[in-house]
Amino acid sequence: MESSKTEQERLQMFFDGELSSEEAEAVRRQLEDSPEGAAELAAWQAIRDGIREVSDPWPDAVDSDELFARIEADIRAPAVERNSRESMPALRVVPGGRERRVWGGVAAGLAAAAAILLAVLTLPEEGTTPGMVRGSKVVAVDFGEYAGTVFEVEGGAGQPLSVVWISDEEVAIP
Amino acid sequence: MRTIWNFLVPSLLLALSFTPRADAQGSKLVQSTRAPTGGVPAEVLVVLAQEESGKIDPELKKLTALRRPPFNSFRSMKVLSKPKVKLVPGRDAVVSLPNGRRLKLALLQIMPDGRFKMKVSINRPEKADYLPLLQVVASAGDPFFVAGQTYEGGTLVVGVTVDPKKTLQLP
Repeated sequence: MESSKTEQERLQMFFDGELSSEEAEAVRRQLEDSPEGAAELAAWQAIRDGIREVSDPWPDAVDSDELFARIEADIRAPAVERNSRESMPALRVVPGGRERRVWGGVAAGLAAAAAILLAVLTLPEEGTTPGMVRGSKVVAVDFGEYAGTVFEVEGGAGQPLSVVWISDEEVAIP
Repeated sequence: MRTIWNFLVPSLLLALSFTPRADAQGSKLVQSTRAPTGGVPAEVLVVLAQEESGKIDPELKKLTALRRPPFNSFRSMKVLSKPKVKLVPGRDAVVSLPNGRRLKLALLQIMPDGRFKMKVSINRPEKADYLPLLQVVASAGDPFFVAGQTYEGGTLVVGVTVDPKKTLQLP
């Protein structure tokens, strides 16, 4: 286990370019001796080439040491007083009334949104009145001297509509 | 934070006061069985339907019920009249039909569920009633039909729609 770990560390150092040239050559030969090792070596080389390709556009002009030195210097430098209106107008704190107006606007907006939502949720369906049963229904009929029948047809909204069909010819009474 | 609530709560209460009360009309109808002051408007649609090929009156295009059996056996339909009446409880509304008969309508009751209970009859002058009695319960905007009277080679289809709203809607 220990040897395996050491081997892994050695491989990692190889891929990181931290081995001496002799050690690196020995590891390379060892990897090339087996198909798995050769594949691993090829994969790592591909990754390294990819990284190099990506980092190539970054010019050498970027001096990382200088960059970090400047960052460090800025961090250590005393804080600059930034109370000038011209320096940071966007971050200026607006006290009192305007702040209240801003929050009031937000609240009014929220209230308007809530009202619209409530209106949509509670809006009755067009052409209907809540709590009402749609359609028509015959509850009593007397055809008198004529013959007739009652049936239903479906309305546009699927509601039943009653139809009374009554003959125009008097029924002969025997 | 208190500032937010100072605005938010009154704003919400104000907004709620303007939110449409969906059950307002329904509950009013449910609680009252009396007709609104001035009566309930109703429309009587008198149609001459014939089996011969012809035109379907454009006014009837929205009345899909007339395109279903048995009405679909008629190949032409013409609106002869469309009188509007006011239904007042205890008082008959009379509509003259083209065949000389009279259609009598009476509002009996507004049901607890908002529907209208009506009494209908069709009388013949100097003769026994053609349709002595018909009682119908109908919701606003939903018609019922009385059909079968012969007239000018066709059949009269009479549709009655009660609608307490201002605009009558054909289903």
